[in-house]
Amino acid sequence: MARGLSLYAEGSSPLHRAHPLTKATLTLCAIGLAFILPSWPLVLGVGVALLSLLAAAGVLRRFLFVAAGLLVPITLLLALVQSLANPHNQTVILPLGPLAVHREGLYIGLLAALRIAGLVAATFLFSFTTRPADLAEALMQRGLSPRFGYVIQSALQIIPQSLETADRIRDAQRARGLETEGPLPRRARAFIPLLLPLVLSALVATQERAMALEVRGFGLKVGRLARYRIPDSLGQRMLRWGLALAVVAALAARLLGWL
Amino acid sequence: MTPVITMAAARYRYPETDHDALGPIDLTVLPGEWVGVVGPTNAGKSTLCYVIIGLAPQFFGGRLRGEVSVFGSPTASQPVNERSRRAGLLFQNPFTQLSGARERVDEEVAFGPEAHGLPQAEVEERVAEALRLTGLQDLRARHPLDLSGGQLQRLALAALLAMRPELLLLDEPTSQLDPAGSRALFDVLRGLHAAGTTIVMVEHRLEAVAAMCPRVIALGEGRLLADGAPAEVFNRPEVQASAGIPAFARLAALVGKGPPLPVTFESAVEALRG
Repeated sequence: MARGLSLYAEGSSPLHRAHPLTKATLTLCAIGLAFILPSWPLVLGVGVALLSLLAAAGVLRRFLFVAAGLLVPITLLLALVQSLANPHNQTVILPLGPLAVHREGLYIGLLAALRIAGLVAATFLFSFTTRPADLAEALMQRGLSPRFGYVIQSALQIIPQSLETADRIRDAQRARGLETEGPLPRRARAFIPLLLPLVLSALVATQERAMALEVRGFGLKVGRLARYRIPDSLGQRMLRWGLALAVVAALAARLLGWL
Repeated sequence: MTPVITMAAARYRYPETDHDALGPIDLTVLPGEWVGVVGPTNAGKSTLCYVIIGLAPQFFGGRLRGEVSVFGSPTASQPVNERSRRAGLLFQNPFTQLSGARERVDEEVAFGPEAHGLPQAEVEERVAEALRLTGLQDLRARHPLDLSGGQLQRLALAALLAMRPELLLLDEPTSQLDPAGSRALFDVLRGLHAAGTTIVMVEHRLEAVAAMCPRVIALGEGRLLADGAPAEVFNRPEVQASAGIPAFARLAALVGKGPPLPVTFESAVEALRG
């Protein structure tokens, strides 16, 4: 069951089965390329590749749902601000009284929006297809300290645990007659008495959890053994190196003015 | 027979306080014993657990005097996480005992054995055993936060059992459970005791203590008020005045039965019939 900050969607696609480090490399390289490549057809190519991967993983619809709410407003805002106010604006394509929409600014705004879309798509591709526990395990198998592994895993569980606590506090306050529903001002007033017990209980819980972890042997200096094998392959290792080289090549070409 | 717990003139004082929260206490617990610990609020019951497991003073700071040994090792010289190989402590609040890092019940149970560096095959064997003992097999794929309070406390117990402790300390394990949840937990404890686990249980349900624990110690203001069989301890006036008495004993007292007061359901029925 997916709880917490994890956006992982169950699946059995090759991307779901791929090593977390392969997916992390793919994500970082796609983001790198989206921001290094200078022209919109190349950035669009990265975007199309990411959309194809999202479709192959069976999570395209889920991404489009998120994108509609997140990327459309960002795109409109960037296009509007850049086309009206970018200092490089010269060619008017639509006069609007004292203002005017310019071709140069519109291009810059849309390119920026395309890059942000690439960043979001790559991040969601990783999140939709990778269990946080697998990522932490893969990193620990590569030498990450179990303490840091714990930090990664527990950070993803903080929100649902806080929501659980907030629910209990809200129920208790409602039982004592506090109005927690209704118009926004009333709900805002109800939020204030929720905050202090929530913060205090979080502090107490942290102390108790630290004790409970000690009692369960956390921090023992023993050679931690892998919980489970995460399959890796020569092909995936080559892909990771290939992606990293592509980013380095793109950066070099950009710096040398070949792109 | 080597004692599991040895305390000799043990005293503990929390940091920045001017009095001992516990002690002086002399206490010996032998292997396989089930000891109930009773007493009013601030009697030092939780502190006793913290001192035995080593959290006090290792986690809290403060000052420990006298001798406290578990399985022959002084608590002051052994880190708490090292001690977790043989002794476990179950806290009151099941929610805060979760590691906070695992998304499934079985992964949560595996947290301790993995921290101990056990091979994966043994981890899985221990997880299966702990889930079976606590009746959580069917919930192994659930998210811990989807469990009820009683199930969550059983999960916390399963997480300790997976480390196969020879000594189990329980600090009011039923304080947040309903009667059904408490019964389920006590059933598990009965099985563990029958299998030879040494149990020290702080519990405010005096009826449960009288019924299950062959030995009871009563604390008051950090000191040992009484130590013995339930019928003996709950008939001591100083214990009755501070810790109280089981409901059956109160009922018997109301109708003029005793002293000595019957402290279990069965003995109360017999006394009331007689």
